[in-house]
Amino acid sequence: MPSTDEELVARSMGGDLDSFNQLVLRWERPIYALAYRVIGREEDARDVCQETFLRAFRALKGFKGQAKFSSWLYRITLNLCRDWIRRERRQPIAQAPEGVDLIELASEATPSESIEELVARREIGRAVARVMAELPDEQRTAIILKEYHGLTFQEIADLLDCPLSTVKTRLYQGLTVLRKQLAREGLPGAARGPWK
Amino acid sequence: MCDKERIVAYVYEELDRAERAQVEAHLKTCAECREEVAGLRSVRVDLASWAPPQPEFGFHIVRDRKPTWRAWWTPAFGLAAAAVLVLAIASAIANVDVSYETDGLHLRTGRGRVETAVATSAPAPSAAPVAAPAAASTAKADEMRALLTSLAARVGRLESAPRASGMQQAALKSARQGDAEILRRVHDLLAQSESKQHQELALRIAQVIRDVDAQRVADLNRIQQGFGRLDAMTTQEAVAHRDLANYLVASSRQK
Repeated sequence: MPSTDEELVARSMGGDLDSFNQLVLRWERPIYALAYRVIGREEDARDVCQETFLRAFRALKGFKGQAKFSSWLYRITLNLCRDWIRRERRQPIAQAPEGVDLIELASEATPSESIEELVARREIGRAVARVMAELPDEQRTAIILKEYHGLTFQEIADLLDCPLSTVKTRLYQGLTVLRKQLAREGLPGAARGPWK
Repeated sequence: MCDKERIVAYVYEELDRAERAQVEAHLKTCAECREEVAGLRSVRVDLASWAPPQPEFGFHIVRDRKPTWRAWWTPAFGLAAAAVLVLAIASAIANVDVSYETDGLHLRTGRGRVETAVATSAPAPSAAPVAAPAAASTAKADEMRALLTSLAARVGRLESAPRASGMQQAALKSARQGDAEILRRVHDLLAQSESKQHQELALRIAQVIRDVDAQRVADLNRIQQGFGRLDAMTTQEAVAHRDLANYLVASSRQK
């Protein structure tokens, strides 16, 4: 049975480097995904991801366990992303690879998905990335934490140091803007529902 | 109702059973909220299509070797002091003299100054290269200060060039050309100085080798003399012992 985060953290605090590296292995993809969706650049997201674990390792003795380890990592990551956005003084960008490699696409397809469906999914994904990049930071971050990391409203509120109602408002506003923008991009899914 | 926060919470299924029942009852009667919920759900479906890249990571934390106390306690000013010491020694060996006079920058090195110093302190030649720079150090410091002040003034003038008028710019252009000429001369002087330093260093090394050889010969002579004295003393003692033995033998025969 694999160790829990708390167990690995306790062992890491006792000087067990392997335990911390198990935490890195467990959380590197979610942390990278969070950084990538917030700042929109692959290489910079990698750097943020790496820096997150370095900072976590250095500050491990200060981690008292009031929050979940993952929440603590998310907080470090979001702070680093905020620094990046401030430093670069620009909106995140939506990176879209040039051209479509059918062989690569086929390897990504789920068994029940045709190539056509996969191409359509990737098109939608790119459109979502473009539209998300245009959202205000706080709305984008709330949507990312809710949609892709499954945090509760309360966890997001704790992480972003804002009231619960603010989180819901940001989500509602962000999703509403997304609906409108995706409809303008002509996406079939977004075309459902009323547009204001 | 049309409470947007509740609609969001309903879409994300974060309502308790009672609240959920209330929202569902409302949706049966409110077409606008029903369409709102459908729209938000459809956006969530679209959001699921946005997947991040899947790079290879391979991050892991490794323990670095702890630095020794020496590394911790080597302060930056210590390194700076070492650098200054090296420069001072090199300058003392080559007897470099930098001055900035009315006709430009001057670099003097080597023998002229050393020879003068040797002449005034003839009995102790080895002390001369140290004594000469020490005596001139105050004058050098003043010259260096004057040089730095002059260079700072020139830099200040050049920095203000973009704001100058046409006539002033022409004058500054001329000044820049003059500066380029000075810079070229400085490079030449530095190259000459370097060459002289090399020669001076070679001479001094040869001098040191000669001194060491002379000292070695003198030491060997002293050792040789010591051995001679010791040998003579030993011979004298042997003669005395032999005389004493003869005396004792003669005395015993008489008895």
